[in-house]
Amino acid sequence: MAAIEPVQPADDAQKPSAGPLNALTAAALALPGLVLPAAQAADDEFAVQYGHYQEENRQLFGVESKFRPITVDTLQGSGNLKLTDRVKFTFNYTQDTWSGATPIATAPLDMRGNSTSNSPDGITGATPNIVGDLFFDSNLNPLRTDGFGTVVGGPDRRLVHTLSSASPETRKQGSFKLGYEWDEAALDVGGGVSVEDDYESGFVNLGGRLDFNQKLTTLSGGLSYTSSDTNARIDHDALPYINTGAYDGQIERTAEGGKIIHGERKDWGAHLGLTQVLNKNALIEAGLGYTLGNGYMENPYKVVEVAFINDNIPPPEGAAYVGQVRALLEQRPDVRNQFNGNLGYVQHIDALDAALHFNYRYYLDDWGINAHTFESDWVQPLGHGWSVTPRIRYYSQDAADFYTPYLISNQPYNSGRFNRNLLPNHFSSDHRLSGYGALSGGVTVSKKFAKGVDVDLGFEYYTHQGGLKIGGGGEGDYADFDSWNVNGTLKVNLEALAAGADHGSHAHHHHHHGATAPAGVMFDHMLGKNGFMVGYRYMYSSQSGDMLHGSNLVGDPAIVAGGCGPNPCFVKPNSMAMHMHMLDIMYAPTDWLNLMVMPQFMDMSMTMRRLTGAPPDDEAPDGGVHIPHHVENGHETGGISDMGVYALVKLFDAGRHHLHMGLGLSIPFGAVDIELRRNHQVEGGLIHYGMQLGSGTLDFKPSLTYTGNYEDWAWGAQLSGTKRLEDHGETGYRLGDIFQTTAWGGYGLTNWLTATLRGVYTIQGAVQGEFNQFIDRLGPMDYPMNYGGRFWDVGFGLNATIPSGDLAGNSLGVEWLQPVATDYNGYQLDRDGTLSATWHYAF
Amino acid sequence: MALAFFLGIGAAGCAEVAPWQRGNLAKPQMALEPYPLQSSFRGHIYGSREAASGVSASEGGGCGCY
Repeated sequence: MAAIEPVQPADDAQKPSAGPLNALTAAALALPGLVLPAAQAADDEFAVQYGHYQEENRQLFGVESKFRPITVDTLQGSGNLKLTDRVKFTFNYTQDTWSGATPIATAPLDMRGNSTSNSPDGITGATPNIVGDLFFDSNLNPLRTDGFGTVVGGPDRRLVHTLSSASPETRKQGSFKLGYEWDEAALDVGGGVSVEDDYESGFVNLGGRLDFNQKLTTLSGGLSYTSSDTNARIDHDALPYINTGAYDGQIERTAEGGKIIHGERKDWGAHLGLTQVLNKNALIEAGLGYTLGNGYMENPYKVVEVAFINDNIPPPEGAAYVGQVRALLEQRPDVRNQFNGNLGYVQHIDALDAALHFNYRYYLDDWGINAHTFESDWVQPLGHGWSVTPRIRYYSQDAADFYTPYLISNQPYNSGRFNRNLLPNHFSSDHRLSGYGALSGGVTVSKKFAKGVDVDLGFEYYTHQGGLKIGGGGEGDYADFDSWNVNGTLKVNLEALAAGADHGSHAHHHHHHGATAPAGVMFDHMLGKNGFMVGYRYMYSSQSGDMLHGSNLVGDPAIVAGGCGPNPCFVKPNSMAMHMHMLDIMYAPTDWLNLMVMPQFMDMSMTMRRLTGAPPDDEAPDGGVHIPHHVENGHETGGISDMGVYALVKLFDAGRHHLHMGLGLSIPFGAVDIELRRNHQVEGGLIHYGMQLGSGTLDFKPSLTYTGNYEDWAWGAQLSGTKRLEDHGETGYRLGDIFQTTAWGGYGLTNWLTATLRGVYTIQGAVQGEFNQFIDRLGPMDYPMNYGGRFWDVGFGLNATIPSGDLAGNSLGVEWLQPVATDYNGYQLDRDGTLSATWHYAF
Repeated sequence: MALAFFLGIGAAGCAEVAPWQRGNLAKPQMALEPYPLQSSFRGHIYGSREAASGVSASEGGGCGCY
């Protein structure tokens, strides 16, 4: 949306004369707001970002957890489009996949929540042990024991988080805003949805902006409404040990014996903001916000440990009381009134051409939390398009009134028939509601590559510590943790690019040989000398329905008997989906050599069902404990995948006919050690080969491409391959080699739209070797021989090149690849097809 | 209150800044949010780890229940 066309700085001494001054003033005032509200970006700008968040190990007092700490991989894309001079459209897409261990509870150290039951201080670690006995002295201090019921020391008040692991899960969110701009005002409406397995929310918002005082003052305001549904499967590993009694009315029992807790929540929000230019070098921003939350606001995966004092059990020597510790789902109030105020200040530092930003935010809610956030950064341009931004942030919050690490209740548990009225109405030991401070610092390095192309790289290190709370009294250091995050952002401003191209000496658009190749074909064209291209490729591929053995449909009994080698199969895949997002960056140092870099982000999901005629669950290698979770929950993975680096070399170019060769490497950045979570104290093991995010090996990717064109017709053919250069990746296997051949033809329907048709033949080998770590083999996808095959596909595509207007020069392509013949290695799920979509812009 | 205060500043305390004097204000480093996408990424992290950051619920953001 906006706003800032760089108004040429002018010294006061060189004020323009009245005529030009009036014109300039009028022009400047016609701009829709000189000062950008937060998160508002320029017109016709697209941005993609990859982010990675990584937590470090928690303090477990000598227990060596083999759970990996939480990691989150995030992919974001956004675009700001000027539909007309006054109508603006903004969209945002975010997806994040997270996995790893997180605290499920807090308990006195003597609970040994993270120890295996047969090894009290074991180093193998990590059963979420949430029920058991604790012994207390007469002042209700927990006592140290030897782990087998004998008191061996005095009071031990140390606490520890009990960790539980989780399988990877993916959230996807899309949102949009449609805005109308007047000369001195704007109005926008927006909405979106966020979808994950256990939580869905939809939201709408309305915002407005008023500029006055010659645009030195901007007033903004907004209203929002969010509706969210929780449908959370209660921790499967710990389910038998969790008391869910407070939520009986909200719990659904699944056919497989799981429990799903349902909750609804509504949030209404309002905010008001003011931006004021103070002088030619400074501006200030202030805001007030209010949010009312209503409904189920619990974290469904957090329990509170309650020690029920049972006077009927005689305490061991040295103890005064025996506490039967039980885990109850946390209980939060159903209403939360939240207020916040913020104050921001931006100062230009003339001597260094830098900008100092300072922000303070105060937060208050009726759960008893007061919080302060201080942030400051210094944006320092360095010349040649570089800038560096160091940043520091400090955050401190009080604990919620009902926060408690654990509870003691002076009544026996009585097999769950205890009196709930003797417990507090609300209790939570979620560390997010405890008192603590957090200090973080980082740096962002930014480079403007050409007019309109920006790359930002950011890093931040974050430490959460009870001791950092303002005024002291924060939670103990058992809850401290550190984390870091990195992000890389690419921004492309088409408006600026187009302007640059018009003025530059390379005004001609570098001719794209065969740019009419279907969207699913890579390496289809080369750029002329000094050409630059940015692009985005999306690929969705789906499998569902019947299982095939070779080319033949097979029923459940045949899969049970033959799909898993010497073992019986218990489950089969029901559907599999893969989404791939690829950035396509290409540069031509010379006419005959082009260089390409293609980072990739990938996410996959899969559902399964039981096979009819399979042996009983308890004959499965894992005792069958994972089967209910497999068939009711499915699997998800996502994150950064392998990155391709390629060189394209021109071999032949004679007007109508072009031939070039591609030589490339795929660098194994994608994870190949993604694990499923434990269930009922049995490890989940690695998730099968097809849902790991990369190949795990360095791969050679050669290609040979021919393209031709005549009048409205274009055609081409390509041979390409993938040869694994290593015998196996870090987890012991390598994917099969791939050889593909394809040929296509295209016809220009109009001067901007081309239809394409192509055929593809692909051979892929089976997985070689096998996992060198535990994999819980329950279905055909868990066996290496059930990968690869021989495939025929037919592709139907459309390509469009925008011929004029602000978006001139942008190419869009879409292609559906329809399977026509499939001859699988082993037993695999039938193919539905593949959708490819691309966007490219060369300059 | 803060709003009234700053409206007051706006009315009284601010120097007149003519359009041709706004060159510095228009520079990218002076944007209120120089790195909006990075901020939204970090905002989501803070929001899933801190009690006070979930106020931007109006923008969605999911459960963050990890």
